[in-house]
Amino acid sequence: MNEAHLPVERLSIILGEVKDVRVSQRGPRRTRLDVAADALPALLELLKGRAGFVHLSAISCVDWPKDGQFELVYHLWSYELDLLVSAHTRIARDPGVYVSVYDIYHPAGFFERDIHEMYGVFFEGAPDMEKFILTEWDGPPPMRKEFDSEAWVNDHFDWQDYRPDWLLELEAQGGGIVIPPDEQRFSRRGLPEAEDES
Amino acid sequence: MTDDTQFPVKIEQPGQVAQGGNVFSRVFDELTAFCRSRSLFILHYCTGCGAIELPPAMTSRFDMERLGISPMVSPRQADILLITGYVSVKTLKRVMLTYEQMGSPKYVIGICSCTVNGGMYWQSYATAKKLNDYMPVDLYIAGCMPRPEAVITGLRQLMDNIAKGEANGWQDYYRRYDYYLGNQQRLFGETWQTPTDVIAEAKHYDLFGPETLGKHTELLLQHQKPLEALEMRLGLDAPEKVKS
Repeated sequence: MNEAHLPVERLSIILGEVKDVRVSQRGPRRTRLDVAADALPALLELLKGRAGFVHLSAISCVDWPKDGQFELVYHLWSYELDLLVSAHTRIARDPGVYVSVYDIYHPAGFFERDIHEMYGVFFEGAPDMEKFILTEWDGPPPMRKEFDSEAWVNDHFDWQDYRPDWLLELEAQGGGIVIPPDEQRFSRRGLPEAEDES
Repeated sequence: MTDDTQFPVKIEQPGQVAQGGNVFSRVFDELTAFCRSRSLFILHYCTGCGAIELPPAMTSRFDMERLGISPMVSPRQADILLITGYVSVKTLKRVMLTYEQMGSPKYVIGICSCTVNGGMYWQSYATAKKLNDYMPVDLYIAGCMPRPEAVITGLRQLMDNIAKGEANGWQDYYRRYDYYLGNQQRLFGETWQTPTDVIAEAKHYDLFGPETLGKHTELLLQHQKPLEALEMRLGLDAPEKVKS
């Protein structure tokens, strides 16, 4: 292979070996790669072995419910090229299964476990898919877009009643704090038990 | 478990007539309350951001110790449990364990808006919204975060309440244990249990009330496992290795 001195040139030589990679330059030291899901592990292998992208700083997940897809973003840093590459790929939201890259990057084990917990994506071949941070959580994966955090909070917690005397005095005179009806949150302790235990 | 017949302790209520007609017993109670309010040890359970205001409140600038308040490392020797910020559901379990380990009389202060009503985490699925659902809170110091002046003012208010005999949240926990346990079970699941036998303690302190027991404590008694003593062993190795 020819010696290429510019980082982007050297990168482009590697990228020629993977099919259907869309490259877009986001800045002098940031490159975005869009790749099909089945080509991503090969791409990571090449980037690590041939361009010195030894540092996987994070794996992020984006939920696209309208497209029925999860987007996985692998953030890679090369100390040789001083270049940040984010490799984007999309997988089907249902069943939400993808391969683990633990055998290429060991830190991926933590990120994949975190994504599994927050989004419910299962990574095949990951060393551990047990609960990570939300050890005492038995609800649905909370970072999915369809998870309604406010409804969950209304179901599981009670609100503080804030009715100080000075506010009651003001309200008796026709004043007070104006809170829109959909933002009014009061304690449900006085309500019947059936509604309270919803 | 505590044998409630072993140490008969009678806690006198404010407003109750002193027993035996001894005029000095009331004086003695007031003296006790006064002394109690002047020697407070804080266990600051640093849950959130509010803990950052405590080092200035403790050290030379605002100097809590001039009020007789100083930090304490162990819950068993502390008087005040200071919850300094948002309490996640995971943390709340530990807070409950800590609170029940503290010796009475004990006081709880909730610092920051998050302990009052969830604060900026009002929409979060992971943080408890209302601390006084799960334990009796004697005083809230609102703010995000309250300045050390506000912390000191709140602590002085608590001192006044203790001296007047009004800071009785810990008695409320024994008297209405069923209510607090119900809220805890709602959040932690029905199998929630702590190592402390609160019902026996309530009898011990003579604070057993009509609302101490209820349907939630019945649920607790159904699945409660008795505590077993921890195994005593020297060293970290397994016993067979010690023999060889």
